[in-house]
Amino acid sequence: MTRRQLLALVVAAAIPSAAAAHHSFAMYDQTKVVTVQGAVKTFQWTNPHAVLWVLVAPKDGGAAELWPAELPTSPGNLARMGWSKTSVRPGDKVVVEINPLRDGRHGGSLKKVTLVDSGKVLAIGPIPQAKP
Amino acid sequence: MTRKLAALIVGLALAASAANAAPSPKDWAAVARLPDWSGVWAPDVVDQNAQVHGDPPPWKPEVARQVAALEAQEKAGRPKGLFVDCLPHGMPALMLVTHNPIEFVFAPGRVILLGESDGNRLRRIRTDGRPHAADPDPSFFGDAIGRWEGGALVVDTVGVLPQTYIAVSEAVGIPNDGDLHVVERIRLEGADTLVDELTITAPHVLTGPWTTRRLYHRQRDPAAEIVEGVCLQGRYLESRDADGHAAFSLLPLGEDGAPAPPK
Repeated sequence: MTRRQLLALVVAAAIPSAAAAHHSFAMYDQTKVVTVQGAVKTFQWTNPHAVLWVLVAPKDGGAAELWPAELPTSPGNLARMGWSKTSVRPGDKVVVEINPLRDGRHGGSLKKVTLVDSGKVLAIGPIPQAKP
Repeated sequence: MTRKLAALIVGLALAASAANAAPSPKDWAAVARLPDWSGVWAPDVVDQNAQVHGDPPPWKPEVARQVAALEAQEKAGRPKGLFVDCLPHGMPALMLVTHNPIEFVFAPGRVILLGESDGNRLRRIRTDGRPHAADPDPSFFGDAIGRWEGGALVVDTVGVLPQTYIAVSEAVGIPNDGDLHVVERIRLEGADTLVDELTITAPHVLTGPWTTRRLYHRQRDPAAEIVEGVCLQGRYLESRDADGHAAFSLLPLGEDGAPAPPK
């Protein structure tokens, strides 16, 4: 299976995941989905959680603001879902769906990212557990 | 002669020897006869939750109130970050709540458990027949001795730091407060499932031993192999220093562990 096919499978199988290693994700409001649009500043491919940093232009104008979209698990587990450090690249135009931080700070946990130019959609699936 | 007495004599003999003996070809041959635990073992996260809800730790009443408060705090969206300091999970939390896989390395007199989570955690389990160290320095993963009983590895762990959590999630757990004793029976069930049956004794916070189990499923896909997992790396952004060299710059982090944009 190619990585692209695997990604398609992950997207097809995408369900809300409670898989949060290292720290609880209860600070994110899982009943709300906020969509932000912008350009990727960097894709922080680090433990314990990867973070997609997006420069978002405020609706009322002004300088772009930096939003972190935290992925709910580590590069190891993300790779098992079909992600890689180059799934999203700096400068990519993206539409990002997040469960927002409850306290109103910019940021949230990443649910889904759409790459505007290619239309590719990356989502968070369950951590593969290779159950027999 | 009882098994205990035999173990004691072997232990004393080993303790009396000046140096650890080099493994012989016979010792390596014995390793080859052990059960096949190769591959990557992914924790069954669904079962972790099922075990915790179906058979929670027997907390002492005053501790149960603290656990309820932590649960309420998490439910309200203000989770306590038990592991956001990047210190090791330690025993028994590594086995109880981790979502990243583990792997085993067998060698004469040793079983090494390597974890991917949070800094590639490491448990060294001596299987050379020695007893526990007389007065081990407390550590995150403690002083662990193991013995094979048929296909099962029985691991006995003491000497664990009192600060390590008896954790039921990343946000709910209580320090063991000392005198922790963990006995595990780890064995294959079927071809590709590993069962860890744990009996956790923590007399300062539990009313009695807590027996629980965790499941791991084998992955042989090269894409699933364990990678480096340095917890503290997530606290830094890749950047450049004043001289233009590649460097890490510290990232602000909320008390709950959520990343926040740099000021």
